[in-house]
Amino acid sequence: MTEPALPSEGWPPAVLDPAGPYSEPVTLLAWVLLVGGTVILAIVLAALWVAMRGSPRLKTRLGGEKAIWILGFAFPSVVLTGLLVWGLLLTSSLSAARVPEGAMRVKIIGEMWWWRVHYQDGQGRETLRDANELHIPVGQPVLLELEAADVIHSFWVPRLGGKMDMIPGRTNRLLIEADAPGVYKGQCAEYCGGPHALMGFVVVAHSPADFARWQASRRPAGGAGDEGLALFLSSGCAACHTIRGTSARGLAGPDLTHVGSRKTLGAGILPNNPGTMAGWVADSQAIKPANRMPAYHQFSGEELQALTAYLVALK
Amino acid sequence: MRSETGFDPALYERFPTRDERPKEEEEELRRIWCKPKGWEYLFAVNNNYIGIYYLGTAFLFFLMAGVLALLMRAQLAAPMLEILPQGTYNQVFTMHGTVMMFLFAVPAVEAAGVLLLPQMLAARDLPFPRLSAYAFWAYAVGGLCFFASIFVGLAPDGGWFMYPPLTSKAYSPGINTDFWLLGIGFIEISAIAGAIEIIVGVLRTRAPGMRLDKMPIFAWAMLVFAVMIVIAFPSIILGTLLLEIERAFNWPFFDATRGGDPLLWQHLFWFFGHPEVYIIFLPAAGMMSMIVATVAGERLVGYRLIVLAMIATGFISFGVWAHHMFTTGMPPMTTGFFSAASMAVSVPAGIQVFSWIATLAIGKPKFNAPGLFVMGSIVIFVTGGLTGVMVAMVPFDWQAHDSYFIVAHLHYVLIGGMVFPLFAAFYYWIPMVSRRALSERLAKWVFGLMFTGMNVAFLPMHLAGLQGMPRRVYTYLPGQGLELPNLISTVGAFMLGLGVLLFLVDLARNFRLAPGEGNAGNVYGGGTLEWLPSELYSTRTIPVVTSREPLWDDPALADEVEKGRYFLPRSATGLRETIVTSPLLAEPQYLQIMPGPSPWPFAAAIFTAGFFLALTVQAYLFAWVSGVLAVISVLRWLWETDRPIEIEGVDIGADIRVPTYVTGPSSHGWWAMIILLVVMGMIFLMALFSLAFLSSNQPGFWRPPPPLGGAILMLMLYAAAIGFALAARSVLRRSPFWSVMALLFSAAASSAALGLDYASWSGTGLDPTASGQGAVAYALLALQACAAAIAMLMALYCAARGVRGLVAQPRNNSIDLTMLFLVYTAAQGATGALVSRLVGVGG
Amino acid sequence: MKGGAAISVLMLLGACAPAPVETAPADTDAVARGRDAAARLGCGACHDMPGIAWPKGRVGPPLAGFGARPLIAGRLPNRAPQLAAFVTDAPAMVPGTAMPAIPMKRAEADDIAAWLLSLDD
Repeated sequence: MTEPALPSEGWPPAVLDPAGPYSEPVTLLAWVLLVGGTVILAIVLAALWVAMRGSPRLKTRLGGEKAIWILGFAFPSVVLTGLLVWGLLLTSSLSAARVPEGAMRVKIIGEMWWWRVHYQDGQGRETLRDANELHIPVGQPVLLELEAADVIHSFWVPRLGGKMDMIPGRTNRLLIEADAPGVYKGQCAEYCGGPHALMGFVVVAHSPADFARWQASRRPAGGAGDEGLALFLSSGCAACHTIRGTSARGLAGPDLTHVGSRKTLGAGILPNNPGTMAGWVADSQAIKPANRMPAYHQFSGEELQALTAYLVALK
Repeated sequence: MRSETGFDPALYERFPTRDERPKEEEEELRRIWCKPKGWEYLFAVNNNYIGIYYLGTAFLFFLMAGVLALLMRAQLAAPMLEILPQGTYNQVFTMHGTVMMFLFAVPAVEAAGVLLLPQMLAARDLPFPRLSAYAFWAYAVGGLCFFASIFVGLAPDGGWFMYPPLTSKAYSPGINTDFWLLGIGFIEISAIAGAIEIIVGVLRTRAPGMRLDKMPIFAWAMLVFAVMIVIAFPSIILGTLLLEIERAFNWPFFDATRGGDPLLWQHLFWFFGHPEVYIIFLPAAGMMSMIVATVAGERLVGYRLIVLAMIATGFISFGVWAHHMFTTGMPPMTTGFFSAASMAVSVPAGIQVFSWIATLAIGKPKFNAPGLFVMGSIVIFVTGGLTGVMVAMVPFDWQAHDSYFIVAHLHYVLIGGMVFPLFAAFYYWIPMVSRRALSERLAKWVFGLMFTGMNVAFLPMHLAGLQGMPRRVYTYLPGQGLELPNLISTVGAFMLGLGVLLFLVDLARNFRLAPGEGNAGNVYGGGTLEWLPSELYSTRTIPVVTSREPLWDDPALADEVEKGRYFLPRSATGLRETIVTSPLLAEPQYLQIMPGPSPWPFAAAIFTAGFFLALTVQAYLFAWVSGVLAVISVLRWLWETDRPIEIEGVDIGADIRVPTYVTGPSSHGWWAMIILLVVMGMIFLMALFSLAFLSSNQPGFWRPPPPLGGAILMLMLYAAAIGFALAARSVLRRSPFWSVMALLFSAAASSAALGLDYASWSGTGLDPTASGQGAVAYALLALQACAAAIAMLMALYCAARGVRGLVAQPRNNSIDLTMLFLVYTAAQGATGALVSRLVGVGG
Repeated sequence: MKGGAAISVLMLLGACAPAPVETAPADTDAVARGRDAAARLGCGACHDMPGIAWPKGRVGPPLAGFGARPLIAGRLPNRAPQLAAFVTDAPAMVPGTAMPAIPMKRAEADDIAAWLLSLDD
């Protein structure tokens, strides 16, 4: 199974670098709008230049109500009508009002400042819980059911599709799909207070075969008798976190059953390795100020080692 | 020529008169409109003072919010800096948006209206000078206290849009959010007051002969602006009321877990919030149209087109609010409608831009200071407009929404559409109020720095947005390619700041305020009436207007006006006065006697501020004392504004005689009351919308309302209330006593009906804290209780005037206006009683 | 633990050898690569490190001026081989430390050591 690596991003800009059928047409639209807008701006600048410095003949042509009607009314009306039709067609083809056959279904719930991820089967029954990371097979549309637990959040993975708000009391639906295996970064786009800036997300797209292997490898944790687990349970971690297969059943924080296999820690912001895990467990407040997990000052070096070793082994 | 009021237009032929006017007339005008001394500056009500105070305060807020912007740009110069900690940053960006939109932009254009309109229309003052003073002081005191919250870390941190549930008590337990609601409360009061002032001023105090189609385009812009405020602000007034009630009393309007809906807030906020952008833009566009004509030295091309465009903008802008909500999961049909409207609204903007270009083309445009800013504005605004069309495309907006692309777009629109025109206006009109014009040489530097800085700051933000940088982030992670665009933006922001700083230097060197004591004069050669020689009483006489640029068409006009050869060459009553004219053709109708300086509007504003501030910090006793004192101050200031005087008709020049006291639908007070009632009606309508919205979105929480049959008695009482109120007006001819009694009966009947309504709702066992339905139902009752209480207060006020023998027969404005309010109160009560029993019955 | 043992041996050897008076001139490429590797691995989750804006963790000691410190974790001489070994597998070198073994390539460890030793301000 090949592991997609975390991308180093920035260029080309994510919106202009689509990776699936729900972002690709929007990128085309974006290019048309950007280029068209630049051309129109150039026309206006040219008109302004003519008005200031042009020949008397050109100035007279520009200086009448006829020019206003043509440039200010007729031209924009035609262009806008065309754009509107395109926009309407594209809106209905991309919207989740119609869900394609065989779409995978996942419910994602926004929390202050992380995400619950509930995988579902075709009938909408929950099959697996995870957090802050979504694994999908390439070439298959994924229907996301987006909800919010506290305040409004917004789900946005620019390379795979547009954004959709997560609003308390509602379930919004969004379709995404990836064309190629890889890791796609996402981010909460609706201001949700505190460390909203550090509420990231990753989508990991696998080839269908890798995805099947990934699914098969999701098993409850064992680890009875492990010193790290004992510490986890005795230190209060289980009050907020669940690790399936153990007695840890807290619901306030992310499910940690597979935390060791995640690409990132702290909701899409920090690479996941034993070092960062130790740093996060001991003092996440220094990394993501105002997040809901307190700093833990009670561990000795060995204890932190044991806890970290246990957590990173939760694949 | 057709006449509107029976006035014979041939009478205009008598002007300019030929007789020599005695010197004493001018002396008397100076005495009547005298300059304040010492403390009296606080009590001044004349637009020359209030306009300057207003504009100065708004500009101060611009500077302070600008400093906040520079702090933010410093924090974002590189990833993960700690110049502003997270919590502080969230307060700073919230304050930047709130202060720029509410405490700078709207008041600044309103202030420009207060300062410029009387001069442009050649009125002695706006029709309600004390209202202007009150609006200003409430805004200044309240706004400054609100701003001060940032210094003690209590500033709001929920964003200028304040979306619940983030701003509800559960997620924002501190009083920070309450400070926001307080600060907005003040600007709501002052915006509505200003809108009433401006609508009545533009429609009723124009110089004789200034028909609507001869009106300066700025007056048109301000008229559309004020009407939009009247329609749009009620929505935010209701929204802020509901949010504060939810926070204070736990009524779940926006709480989805109890049958409220967070989206209700978004609808209420953006129904105001998007028109707000055009509310800011239209007056600035009006200024542009005025300045462009002067810069080009030619009449504006497409005057009628521009007027139509502005009216169209006003209409369409009320159909675009939901384009802020394309990502909330609305169905494609709905987004399609709002997408179309959002695109359509760019057409009138295009018409205005090409009208300006056409005007520049036929003229010989000069690269003077206003000219530079006009051109800069066109370039920046067009760029922002084009990105606006992009985000009006729903699929593109799904990507761009809430990203830095939007930050770039909105700053292009607002800086190009409002800030640059305002700077053009500063350069253009400062010679009207200052003894010296600003420096043309420095202006080139100011413009160069501001224009370059603006583009350097905001152009890269388009890229950052497309790279995936969301808005309202206190920092960003390294390694996403965001470092460079952000660093460039920061450099640009400081360039822009440097430009503004240089402008301040120019102000310090050259701005010498001198209301009524001579000014730098018509430096740029404008053709409209504000460039007539003027003193505190405005122009020496009020000219007859026959064209849009009277000064260009009649070079002798200034001299004739100065020699006293037009309307109102002398004070007819020895008091402050102005001519009230008809709305369409501006035919003289009557002489309005204007209230002069008074400490009471100032006191009322201070106590209003005290009331809200004390509520925010939960000093309830102090709050109620302040509230009562505020009401007393308002009543005291009104006491002397309704005074019929002995002189029935007066000569306003050339033996044209008009009355000095008019009642009924042609009086300016009646107009103001009607506008106020439209505002109240809109607030109530929005509350009814809230009820309907929750019933269709949260049907699961809906319980049957009280039976419709129970409303019959209430309707009868409300009908009686209307009957009594109408009777009060007709019975006044015979008996002031019975007239006042009828008013009191009317108020009592409305109160009784409200009592019944309340009893039947509480009889259902529905609790306002239990569900969204209960919350809105009781909110409707609370709104009605406010109306009923004010109605009762007004009736008692009339009774007090009756006791003091101040209710003149056969007609009296105080009785008339109270009657209007009582009729409205009963109508509102009846509507509420019916609709609240019908909504959600089927569900 | 095999690697750890091998490195312990190396370390002992290093301790016996006479200390070089002049340290080799810092390989600037290695220093730059080391800084990038440290940022990529998220070493900042525990350490406040010069040149890395975020995170600035407080679990371990701040590393400003690390190159001028005589000892690693108060136990080991602060030399490149020991340092490279320590950042890869701290518990093997200093039992009882909270710093876990962090999977990384040998070259990365060398680069990070070069970078840390260059921090002498």
